[in-house]
Amino acid sequence: MTTLVFVESAEDELSQQAVVMAGSLGAPVSAVSIDTGSLGFAPAAWAQTLVDTAREQGATAIIAPGSDRGNEVLAHVAAKLDQPMAANCTAIAAGDPVSVTRVRWGGSLLEEAQLHGSPALLTTAAHAVAAEPIASVQTVAISDGVSDADRAVHVSETVPAGGGGVSLADADVVVSGGRGVGSAEGFSVIEELAALLGAAVGCSRAVTSAGWRPHSDQVGQTGTKISPEIYIACGISGATQHMAGCKGAKHLLAINPDGEASIFSSADYGVIGDLHEVVPAISAEIRKVRG
Amino acid sequence: MVIGAVALAAALGVSGWLFTTRVEFLVSLIRAGAPLDRSGGRERRVRNEATIVLGQRKLLQRLVPGLIHAFIFWGFLVLGPTIVIAMIGAVSKHATFPWLGDQGWYALLDDIFAVLVLVGVVSALYIRKVVRPKRFDGSHLGEADLILAMIATIVISLLLWHASRIALGLNEWPRHWAPVSNLLSHLFADNQTTRVLERVFVWIHVLTILAFLAYLPRSKHLHIASAAFNVWYGRTGPGGKLETLRFDDPSVPEDEIRFGAGTAADLTWKEVLDTYSCTECGRCQDVCPAFATGKTLSPKLVIMGLRDQVFADGASVIRLRGSEASGGVEPELAPLAGNAVPEESIWDCVTCGACVQACPVSIEHIDHIVDLRRHLVMVESSFPAEAEPMLRDIERASNPWGKSQSDRAEWAHGLGVRVLEPGDPAPEYLYWVGCATSFDERARATAENTAKLLRKAGVDFAILGPREACTGDPARRIGNEYVFQAFAEQNVATLNEAGVTKIIANCPHCFNTLGNEYPDFGGEYEVIHHSEVLARLVAEGRLKPQRDEGLRVTYHDSCYLARHNDVLAPPRELVAAVGQPVEMQRSGKQTFCCGAGGAHMWMEERASQINDNRVREAAATGASTLAVACPFCTVMLDDGVQGAGAELRVADVATLLVQAGAAD
Repeated sequence: MTTLVFVESAEDELSQQAVVMAGSLGAPVSAVSIDTGSLGFAPAAWAQTLVDTAREQGATAIIAPGSDRGNEVLAHVAAKLDQPMAANCTAIAAGDPVSVTRVRWGGSLLEEAQLHGSPALLTTAAHAVAAEPIASVQTVAISDGVSDADRAVHVSETVPAGGGGVSLADADVVVSGGRGVGSAEGFSVIEELAALLGAAVGCSRAVTSAGWRPHSDQVGQTGTKISPEIYIACGISGATQHMAGCKGAKHLLAINPDGEASIFSSADYGVIGDLHEVVPAISAEIRKVRG
Repeated sequence: MVIGAVALAAALGVSGWLFTTRVEFLVSLIRAGAPLDRSGGRERRVRNEATIVLGQRKLLQRLVPGLIHAFIFWGFLVLGPTIVIAMIGAVSKHATFPWLGDQGWYALLDDIFAVLVLVGVVSALYIRKVVRPKRFDGSHLGEADLILAMIATIVISLLLWHASRIALGLNEWPRHWAPVSNLLSHLFADNQTTRVLERVFVWIHVLTILAFLAYLPRSKHLHIASAAFNVWYGRTGPGGKLETLRFDDPSVPEDEIRFGAGTAADLTWKEVLDTYSCTECGRCQDVCPAFATGKTLSPKLVIMGLRDQVFADGASVIRLRGSEASGGVEPELAPLAGNAVPEESIWDCVTCGACVQACPVSIEHIDHIVDLRRHLVMVESSFPAEAEPMLRDIERASNPWGKSQSDRAEWAHGLGVRVLEPGDPAPEYLYWVGCATSFDERARATAENTAKLLRKAGVDFAILGPREACTGDPARRIGNEYVFQAFAEQNVATLNEAGVTKIIANCPHCFNTLGNEYPDFGGEYEVIHHSEVLARLVAEGRLKPQRDEGLRVTYHDSCYLARHNDVLAPPRELVAAVGQPVEMQRSGKQTFCCGAGGAHMWMEERASQINDNRVREAAATGASTLAVACPFCTVMLDDGVQGAGAELRVADVATLLVQAGAAD
């Protein structure tokens, strides 16, 4: 009678929380991490290793943290054992069946459910309990029961995100253009300033509707929500739909010929003027300062 | 005579058997449909039968095709008894139906309506073959041709039968009572050939009718049998009210709780009956703003696709829902979304209701589309990604833009508007501002100006401020019934606790939800739109705007105000009080959506833009001002004006009144 807990590492906070919650089943907790060797992350192989380890230890439950990897590995375990699995539990109680409370609907509902099946398979929701250091973690090697098919899907290489350019969602500086830019070609001044600042280029819904930029560039309620250090909004009036996407910006600089434009009520700095004069002037000044 | 009787009995038997077996299947399928309460409203139902079915009211919205159909339909009613007369005549050429078959006046009616039906059939063929309107795109055209040919055969054989009888002196009525048959009788001599032909005509007539009877329930012409029922069971209440899903109703067994429609087995019985009733006429498609702007959606193809799926899976559905079910393996039913209806179509709908209004047989397309959405959202969690922040923000921040609730009454600063605190005495009117009017910088002017006008006229009102939350309309219309019901219950609790009885709403979507949908959650209020209050105050002389004769104003009807809730006159009275009204072609209940309904305010639009289409129409009137009475229309049409570079100013009717000095 043990509860097997898959931990990503002894230091991983979500894994620590999983071990704490596993304690509420009453059985001794056995924390296991996997030495994957040169294979890399391989969900099916890891799952088979857990299945074999659980069998050796006579585990009556297998628990994993509700992380991307934890959920994926345990889903494979469930498939291999043909048993039900409950994901993202916030509370569990011993019994036959095990009682669980789990998160549904992206966090808007908590469901009280009973988990049948043996062993009980579940993952724990993040931050449902406080993390504590794990007393001991046993590291197991990929087990002999792992087939070639289990090894077929594995992480072969890790490359940094983004193949050039700056991603809109993560950028520290974003320069956006709105209807006031006037045309697809008009964005050259925006792109020039963005390049000088190492910034990402964004736009408003009016621009994507007009077909000047792709939807992936759109900042707003129905586009990307951004939270840069500096947001430079050029020729954007400040419609609610747009402001909902950039309210996370720390500093907002607005450039618009209409002094009445509502964007000025949210802006930290404002320039009342034509972006086609103001933006190139800023670019020129940056070049001058940098020599 | 014996041979004739045997032949008729055999034909009747075959046709009747084919007819009844199919009808049994169709009725079982309706019985297997999910429950839906369409009881009550008898008076309205009787009126609908009289006007929509007998009076052909909806068909006559389009005069020429309407008349064509009315001729055929009325002819069908009048000529009905002739079927029996002809059957008797087929068995014995000397017998007829007593009291009717020998009446001159009935022979005259036969003649008149046979000709009208023929005129109808020929005109219908002309429209289908020569005019070829776009509304027939995607319809089964060959099937329609066959049906028209059968109808033509039936009436032509009737006329020829009567004519040959006159020639043979077999007519039971004076020949001059049937002028057309009489004229045709000159084609025949009183001889053996005519005696044979008389038999041929009557048998063609009778057998074609019996073939029609067998074919009818297997064809799109099934509407002959189902339309009258579909009209009877149509909505009797406001069109803007969606059916409430009962999640917590103890009288509904747990396994019968619906989460919209995933497969044919999830459709309500009315939705199944809807699919039987579609005649593929395409009037819905013709008025659909999504279809008109190049989207995938055609309301006609939605219903046709569902019908095909309902028939394909019908036997399984009946087995699944039948009492002898269970124990066995549950039949595999294909998902509706992606099979019967393309997923894109499901999300294209703006719930404007133009299709429902246009449908001559009372099909309720919005119910189908919302049920498909409900399944995708609540069961599959599959919906346009860009709408996800809206749902999250409603749940988290009580408004769809995620603004801070503490800023909800910011617009009212300095206007002297009373914010109702818990325990305060209830005002006469609660002014329900709504999220868009509270937070959107372009719509806010409506709130400020409405408040100014109400104060000027001395109306006792107050707002809820931060205690007002989204009514849940966008969540409900995108299919998230959970979120909607949570907010409905919360808002009803707040309003009831505050002792509210009368509500003024700015937003037609709030207006519809508060007035039509909250009664299901224990909220019974008298809800009026701000245009209604303001029009009354102007009429009573409590507000005195200065009329500017040179100001040409065209008024855009909001779908949820005009079409769904019949508020047509008050905003027009306000427009007339400040300037010179000029109507767009599509106005009143025939209005064309701004593109924001059905949660589209928070979705991206593919293909061409609905608001551009509408703004072009408004600009064509030559008006300088585009008046609106809805915050969504305000934003969408203002975007459209900017996009088109039109010389138009978009303003709410409250703003127009203030600009005309009514608040001074």
